Formats: sequence, C-alpha cells, structure tokens
Amino acid sequence: MSELLVKNACVIDPLRGINAETMDIAIRDGRIVEEVSGAAEVIDARGMLTMPGGVDSHTHICGTKVNFGRYMSPEDMRAGRTPRRGPMHATSGYSVPTTYGNSYRYSVMGYTTLLEGAMAPLEARHTHEEFIYTPLQDTMANTLFDGNWAIMEAIRDGDTKRVAAIIAWTLRAVKGFGVKLTNPGGTEAWQWGKNVSCIRDPVPYFEVTPAEIIRSIVEANELLHLPHSVHLHCNNLGTPGNYTCTLGSFGLIPDLNPKRQTLYATHVQYHAYGGSGWKDFCSKSEPIANFVNMRPQIVIDMGQVMFGRTTTMTADGPMEFNLYRLHHDKWSNHDVELETGSGIIPVVYRRKNLVNSIMWAIGLELALLTKSPWQCLLTTDNPNGAPFVKYPEIIALLMSKRYRDAEFATVHPDTGSRVPLPAIERELDWYEIAVMTRAGQAKALGIQEIGKGHLGPGAYADVAVYPIRIDDVDPSVDYQKVIEAFGQTEYTIKRGRVVARRGECVVDGSNATFWVKPRVSEAYDMGKDPDFIEKFDRYYTVRMRNYPVQEEYLNRNRCIETEAEI
Amino acid sequence: MIVKDAVCPFCGCLCDDIEVEVEGGRVVAVTNACELGTTKFMGEKRMKNPILRDGNQWKEITCDEAVRYAADMLLDAERPLLYGWSGTHGEAQCVGVHMAELVRGVIDNTSSVCHGPSILAIQEVGHPGCTLGVVKNRADLVIYWGSNPIDAHPRHLSRYTRYAEGFFLENAFRDRKVIVVDVRRTETAEIADEFVQIKPGGDYAVLSALRAIVQGKTETIPRTVAGVTREQLVRVANLCKSAKFGAVYFGLGLTMTRGKYKNIRNAIELVSELSRHTKFTISAMRGHYNVYGSNEVNTWMTGYPFGIDFSRGIAFYNPGETTAVDILARKECDAALIVGSDPAAHFPRRCLEHLSEIPVVQLDPYPNATTAFCNVQIPVAVTGIDAEGTAYRMDGVPIRTRKVLSSDYLSDREVLLQMYTLMQEAKGQ
Amino acid sequence: MKVTLVMKPATKSFIPIEAESIVPKNFLAGTDLSVWRGNRELRLDEVFSISVEGDADRVEDVEVVLSGDTSRLKRVGEYMDGGKITILGGIGMHCGNFMSDGTIEVHGNADGWLGREMAGGTIICRGDAADYCASGYRGGRKGMTGGTVEVFGRAGDFLAESIAAGTVIVHGDAGDMAGAEMHGGTLVVHGNCSRPAANMKSGSCYVFGTAQGMLPTFRKVGTIQHEGRTLIQFTGDIANRGKGNLFVKDYKYLD
Repeated sequence: MSELLVKNACVIDPLRGINAETMDIAIRDGRIVEEVSGAAEVIDARGMLTMPGGVDSHTHICGTKVNFGRYMSPEDMRAGRTPRRGPMHATSGYSVPTTYGNSYRYSVMGYTTLLEGAMAPLEARHTHEEFIYTPLQDTMANTLFDGNWAIMEAIRDGDTKRVAAIIAWTLRAVKGFGVKLTNPGGTEAWQWGKNVSCIRDPVPYFEVTPAEIIRSIVEANELLHLPHSVHLHCNNLGTPGNYTCTLGSFGLIPDLNPKRQTLYATHVQYHAYGGSGWKDFCSKSEPIANFVNMRPQIVIDMGQVMFGRTTTMTADGPMEFNLYRLHHDKWSNHDVELETGSGIIPVVYRRKNLVNSIMWAIGLELALLTKSPWQCLLTTDNPNGAPFVKYPEIIALLMSKRYRDAEFATVHPDTGSRVPLPAIERELDWYEIAVMTRAGQAKALGIQEIGKGHLGPGAYADVAVYPIRIDDVDPSVDYQKVIEAFGQTEYTIKRGRVVARRGECVVDGSNATFWVKPRVSEAYDMGKDPDFIEKFDRYYTVRMRNYPVQEEYLNRNRCIETEAEI
Repeated sequence: MIVKDAVCPFCGCLCDDIEVEVEGGRVVAVTNACELGTTKFMGEKRMKNPILRDGNQWKEITCDEAVRYAADMLLDAERPLLYGWSGTHGEAQCVGVHMAELVRGVIDNTSSVCHGPSILAIQEVGHPGCTLGVVKNRADLVIYWGSNPIDAHPRHLSRYTRYAEGFFLENAFRDRKVIVVDVRRTETAEIADEFVQIKPGGDYAVLSALRAIVQGKTETIPRTVAGVTREQLVRVANLCKSAKFGAVYFGLGLTMTRGKYKNIRNAIELVSELSRHTKFTISAMRGHYNVYGSNEVNTWMTGYPFGIDFSRGIAFYNPGETTAVDILARKECDAALIVGSDPAAHFPRRCLEHLSEIPVVQLDPYPNATTAFCNVQIPVAVTGIDAEGTAYRMDGVPIRTRKVLSSDYLSDREVLLQMYTLMQEAKGQ
Repeated sequence: MKVTLVMKPATKSFIPIEAESIVPKNFLAGTDLSVWRGNRELRLDEVFSISVEGDADRVEDVEVVLSGDTSRLKRVGEYMDGGKITILGGIGMHCGNFMSDGTIEVHGNADGWLGREMAGGTIICRGDAADYCASGYRGGRKGMTGGTVEVFGRAGDFLAESIAAGTVIVHGDAGDMAGAEMHGGTLVVHGNCSRPAANMKSGSCYVFGTAQGMLPTFRKVGTIQHEGRTLIQFTGDIANRGKGNLFVKDYKYLD
C-alpha cells in the first residue's frame, strides 16, 4: 500500500464544481480516496494551483504517420536533444519528438492522459507499440473509419446496424477507443488522386456522400454506447470558404446522448475560413461559434496555430498534397488499403504572412466566442498547428487581452480587417482554463466515469500542481507568469506517484491503454459474417487472423466494455 | 500439427499466409511460401550452445557466461558498435536501443548496406507511398525499377501486382501493365509489357528526362539518354500519365548504384510530378525480413532510422560517418555486438579486417560467415519460427509473427535483456 | 595570441576524437577545455601538448595552430565566429561546421563535410577535400549560406550540395554530383567533374574542364566569355523547373 497526501492545494476541479478551494488530496494505491493514514507521504502544495492531470483529447504522438514524420525529418531532431539521465531516456526532436520526448514534455506540463487522434486499423499495432514507450501518460487511440469499404457498402445498403457491427468488430480487433472520421469519403477518393468537395459530393464507386457517412456513423456510434462521440475532422480542411461546409456538417447532427456531445469536431480553426480564395481569405469564427453556442450536442477543439516551424500530419491525404503544391517542400503520403490514408509535410507559420496571421486569430476567436468552455477545448492538433509545448502561451493569450493585443501588433498589418479578434474583450479565468485542458476533455471523451479528469474519491490519482498562487497573480497583466507556471509543474502526479518535478521526470513510468469492447449479439459478430470474411480475405493483404492486435501489446490493459443495442 | 497463417521470416514481404507442418519439434513441410521462405522455415543445423573463442578452438560456455562476456565488452568499449537487427523482432530491437543509449555506442542496422540511400532521399523530399493492398486493388500500371522480384521477392508479383486480383480491376492480368527498368534483361523483364534498358550509371539521367517530359519539355531532351531513346521515354511518360493508378517499386539496382540516394530522390520527384496528373506512388523493395521494423523502432526511440551514434549521450545521425560499413572501414569502433544479420557475408574486406581485430559477440541461431570473426556466439531462437514478436512489412504494416514450434533457445530479446540488466547494474541503475 | 596544439600519439588511435571545443573564442578564457574520444571525455592536455604565446582580448587576435596526426580529429572550428585556425597536416570530418566568421587553413587533406552548413568566413584547404565539402545536412534544405571555401586539390562527391549562398572554388577535379540541389551561390570547378548542378534551382556553377555525364535536362543557351575562357552556357535543371546557370568548357552526355 502506498499513500500520499497533497496538503494545502488550491484546487480547481470543474467536474466536481470546485473552484479554487484550499484542500488536501488524499491518495492511496493510485486512486483518490477520502483520507489516508498518518503514515502517508506528504507533499505541501503551499497554496499552489492544483488541478486534475491534463488531458489532451486530440494529439498526434504515436503511430505510423507520426513516426514517418520523424523518419523524414532528421533536421527536426537536431532540436530538443537530451542525453539519458537518471530514469529519463535520451530524447530528440521539436515538432515530432521521439516517444520519450513527447512523454517527458507532456508530463512536465502536467498532462497525464493523451488521445492519439488518428490510428489506421491495419497499422494499429504500431500505435500500440509506441504507446508502450510513452510511459508517463495513459493513452487511447481514435480509430479511422473515414474510407472503410465495408462501412461504405453498409451505408449504401442503408444498414446502420451493420455499420455499427463493423465498428464494433474493428475497435475490438485493433484495441481502439473512439471513432474518427477524417475527411469522410475524401480519403477513399484520394486513393484515385481525387477528393470530395463537400458533404454532398459522392465518393467514387461507393456512391455514398460524406453526409451519409457522418450521419450513419454517428447513429452507429450511439447504438454501440461508446464512451466518446464520433470525432470528426470535417471535409475541406484548410480551404478558403470552407466554413459553410463545416456548418453543413454540424447541421447533420441530432442530439442523441444526454451525457455528452453527439459530435466532437476537431481542429475547427482549420474549418472556419471565409473568402473565395487566398486573396480575400478571412475569419468565419463568428458563425461557427454562434452555431456551436446553439447546439449543446457539439463540442469542438481549437486547433490553434502558433507561429514557428512545425510538421503537419493528418489522415487527410488530399489536403496535404494541396499544401505540398503550395509550399514545394517535402511531402509524404501513405494510403492504407480499404481504410484510410495520411499525409505529412513540414510547415513554418509566419507572422508576416497574412493567411497565417488570420489562422492564428481564428483559433483564439473560437475559444473566446464559444460561450461554454465545455464546448471548445484547448488543442493545437499537435503538432499541426504548433507543438504542444506552446499550450502555456495559448492559455496566456486566452487569459489576457493585453497579451493578445501585444501579439496582434506583431502580425501582418492587414489582419485587423479580416478577423474579429481585436474587438473581443473576453478573458478566460482559471476555472475555464481547467475545463478546456482537462475536465472538458475528459467529459468529451466520456472517461470521467472511469476516473479521469477529476479528483473525486475513486478517481485515478493524476494531479498537476502548478507553481503559481492564483490570488497573487492577475493573468491579464502577469501573463508571463502564467506561461511559466503552465510550462512546468511543481509536481506532476500520475497514478499516485510523483512522476515529474520542476522540469525533471523522476520515474520511468508505465502507461495504461484504454480501449473499448462493445458487446454485440451473435448475429452482428462480423468475425462470423461470411460476406465480411470473404471480402477481407480477397482484398486485404494480411490474413484476417493476423489482423487483430494481441493483448500483449497493451502495457496496462484497461478495457471498457459497452452493451450495444445490436 | 499444422500452423496456419504463419508469417514468413525471410524478406520484407512478410507473407502471412504460410502453412507450416511441424512434427517432432521440426518443420517438415511448408505450403504457400516461396523457395527462399521454405528454406528459411526448414532451417539448417543450429548451433547448440554458446561458444567462446579459445585460441584457435571453440569452447562451449554457458549462456550466463556468454551474456556476462558481452556486457563487459560493451561496458569497456569507448565506441561499441551494435549492428544488425533486421533479422530479429521489434521487442529485441527496443532493448538494443536502450543498450546503445546506456553504453553510449553506435547502433546501426542493415539499411546502411541496402536501402539507407532510400531513407536519405525520403529525408530530402518525402515519400508518396501506400500499403501493398492499395496497389493490388487499384494499380493499372506497375513499374519495377532496378529490382528483380522474381529473384528477390518471388511472391510480390503474385500477391500484389502482375498475377494478383484487384478489386477495381476486372481482369487484373490483362488490365494491369508492368514496366521493368533495369541495366540488364532480368527474369522479371521477361514478363513485362515494356522493358527499358538503361546503361549502367544512367538511372539518374533517365529519371530527370522523364520528369522534364511529364512537364511537357520534351524538346530539350537529347535523342538518347543513357541508351534509352527519346521515343521510348515519351511512351513511358504517356503510359504513366494515362494510368489511373501507378506504382513504382525500386530495388538495390537504383539505391546502390552511382548517385545512390540522388537516384531515389529523383524517382520520388518523378512520382510527385506525376501526382499532379494522376495517382502515383513509390515504394522500396525492402529486402531483409524486419529491416523496416528496425528503422521504425530506432525512429520512435531515437529520432533516426539507422546509423545513430550515442557517443556523446545525445543521438547523432550522419550516414556515411555513423554507419557500420564506414565505422568499420575507418576502424572507428573497438567492440561489436551483432544481432540478426551476417555482416561478414556482405561487408567489404576492409571492414572485416577491423572486425577481426576487435572483440565481437554475435547472437545468431546458426553458424554463419560472421562466426569466424566472433569471440562469442550465442545461439538464439529464430524469430518467426521458435520465437514470436513484431515485424514491419516493407510498406510499414506491422505484423505479429507466429511461433510455429517450441524450443529451449532463448529469444534475442531475452538474451539482450539479460545483458542490459547486467549493464544497468554496472552503471549503478 | 597563438595557441599551439600538438597531438600526442594515442593508444587507441583509430577512435576518432571530437573536438568542437577547438575554436579561437574558447581560448580567450584559457585552455581548460575537453574533447571526447568515443564516449570518454578527456582533458585537452591529455590529447595535445599545449603552448600559448602572448595573450588576446578579442577573438580576431587568436590563432590556433594544430599539428601532429590530426586526420581523425573531428569538428574542429565548429561554430567558429572569428580568429584563425591553422592545421599543418590533415583534418578529420566536419571541420568548420556552421562557421560564421574567421579563417581556417588546412595544409593537408580534409575529410568529409568540410565547412558543412557554413554561414560565413573562409576555409582554405591546400590538399584534397573528401565528400560533402561545403554541403548541407541530412534532411536540411539549405547547405552553405555564406562565406568561401577554396580547395587547391581535388574534391570528392556531393561538393557544395544544396548550396544557397557563398562561394566554393575547387582547383582540381571534383567528383560526382557537384552542386547537386544548388539553389544559390557560386560553385567553380577548375578541373573536370561529373553530373554538375543536378536538380539545381538557381545559382551559378562553372566547370572549366569537362562535365562528364552531363544531365539531359539542361537547355543550351549559347556561349559566353568568362575570365578569358569560352564557356558553353546552359540553364536548368528543367526537371526541377530550375532557372540556374551552368557554364562548362566542355561536356559529354551518357547517351
């Protein structure tokens, strides 16, 4: 039995409605408890800001595409190199760091739970292998279904239950957590070098539209009672005028789940563009945020862009090819048979560039114009908008109008006429930041019930203690102090152990992987479906028996079983 | 007993439809595999116990003694080289990286003698690729450039290209065109629809010319380029542009000839150019079994796919300097651990001279050419036969190999973990 | 101030020594520096006999003279920003990496990556330079961005790869792929070389000898007079939509 008591913590725990109360946090054997014995190890938080461990509900840290980003970028590896020291292994990289680099840097910032945003089922084993080497966070993987042949055929036949059955079989096989749609239909079209223009444009051969894919999979997701909603990367990412497509996609979504949203729309910054081309490119954050404000069934994340170099990577192959034609830098693409694809290119976001400046503003606007912080979560779509190490700066920008104005003065001079940002006065408070970086993310992922994102008794003892006393600091003025505090915890506690202290990771760690096993009736077990098996054997290049990811690949295996309605 | 859907441990195709019949702890029959794979499964005579060189003789030693020898050797060295890795599973490769990091050595894999140049090219211009099934189901044009699959990857043609059925092809054999580009008329050239014969050393010029022709700049191109007529180049460019889905597979004929990674870069840039017109992809015909897995493991753990030097604590990468052939030829290491490869069978003589001057420990199930250079050899289980683990197919698809029989041999991972534990203890960790 | 470093004979002579601490600036604060042999850190005086004459306040007044068997000494003059380094013999890899100012003179041969990613200053090599002289780094877009490298002997393959600015002059022959991926700057090869300026985007490449294996994707423009020579002018590399200039005395296709 191990016990730990964090005393005199200034706790913000939004899922329990706790806002800056000074209290003690008792921990036993990795879980939060009501109280501990006198023998417990004591940490005096001395009034420092204390929150549940950070949760990133959309990041790219592990798997085929991320690793290819590393593989093709030795120049990125020249930054962030550290030798092995103590329990820490060597690290390399800035925008696409090694697994240890990601894990240590996230841990130092107080993050204890990460969702890999895109895992191709065929290559799932790779994602899980990398999870093992991401030792200081619990992990889960969104599984890609955007170009799944069997699903598109079922949708064409109008059989939503079969769609659900295929999702159930696949999640179980690949140890996936949630359902991800990346440019639905577009990734299949891209295997012919084509794309879909928006939600009404049919996918070649399969003759289903993105709208049908989205709607059907949203219904299927709820039939399976998955903890998380459908996680959507809308069609048309990054193109001027795409906000209408985004609104159209949002408009497809009914309110089906009383506990959480029905749709999680990711990196919406990239989908909130006005204009007919790059010349009249402008922000459409207002109509998007207004729409979200009226629809509790939708949660978005920012996908904030920050200036500097980074690497973009997404399952959205055609979008990356367009970026390549724009930048003429390196370009990688990787299509995955019968399922999806991916693309990678390095980029530099520059203040002097008008389009980049507008993108920067849009992310902030979405966060400031969405009324409820539970509906707009803080991300950069790491590393697409910026590496996650920029989160502290984003927090400070959201908390300080003065900081925003100071930064705005350095961006392209024409930005003011294209974006509403300068007129927005709102400054987020500590509680709202806590929602956007942990509580809201845990709720959106549906993992609060298994003890993530809060500090109630029974919860995982994942705690971040930041070296800042919120009564002493006015974030709208002292934004530098906010950046420093969120950049490096005083203590990061994971599963009841101090794992990081003032910038150093102090244990080797051991991650847990959360995955979902929906229980379906015999009739909907695709493993016994003759048509599914026959097509699998004919068109995949791996045998169906060799496809599932064995439980050997799960370091600490945390299976969430659901009772499906099929 | 028959084991179905076993994974072949020979080449980067990782065919996973093999049936292996086992009787009395021996493989007695293999179905579906090519000749190369069958030979691998049937195995040769395995070494029984670890051996230690004792003057001109071999002495059998215990595994513990052998492991201790290796650990001490690595700890004492100022620049140990940990080489090979393509013949073993990912779980063992991960231990190898941790060992290199701990003793501050150089870790390199067989890429440096096969597709290292392909990786360098990808690092300059990226890689438009796909999994093998995408080609199988869609490609109506396949180009084998400097590769001879009939010889080196015998089932590539039947599983993915020439003789494979494809979802979007009505009659795959008729509808799928195959072009072979090589310096000599290979067996694969015999089954091609178009054969382009290039003068040795001329690949780069031909690729440049094709790029220009695809852009419509035919008038600048001389009448012949490296032995290929302009007419044929134009014909090939048109075949490419009019394909619905084209796939290039290149081999050592392109990576290991004059210009090396610049050839691959040029081929990738041709494919990127063609992507403006139609769908095109390009991929390397990776040879050694799990060499791609070694690249993947090294990349997520160190940031680089091969040739990683931890001498200074942080990872440094510079192929041509930090790669095994270069290090050995320049005598820049003072100990070597060889796992899952047989460098003595492939490396230049200069490298072997140095290998004979330094302590060498090898993990390998069989006596091989490198055995002659070893101070200690530890026989291990064969990954994919009596040990299971993860291997990455040439297109990046990770597959778990099956164990088809049980043996008393430890796996590479188990032996390496024992070494690593001793090394950690010695370092006070 | 003149710092003389004489390399001591070493027991494990084949293990390279990394000596990025040997830059003039560092000697302003003394000679308490370290170098690395493989994974072992050594004091500078374990590897060299050190003598210092005079003193200096400014880096411009520091000259470092290296002698002995320095051919396996790597990274000398890395990030050098002023002063002078004179190497009486040959020098190992990566001499003058990222150099921004000052002068390095090598009397013998230089090993690979001489002046890699150099930004300014001057490197003179009296002997031959091996592969990747004045080149870039793996995966990087820009090689040399300023300064001058002059080699009086021959240069190896991939000379001035990815050069973006600055000047590289080789008095002897150069190897294969000289000036590959060039997108700025000037490369001059007095002798022969093969496949010059492959995939060039911009910049100027001069070959006063014969360009062997001339690439088919350069368009002939005409002839020009240059420093008393008649040279044939090409533009390219059209395969890469390049608009660079390639001037050659003579050329030969692999046809």
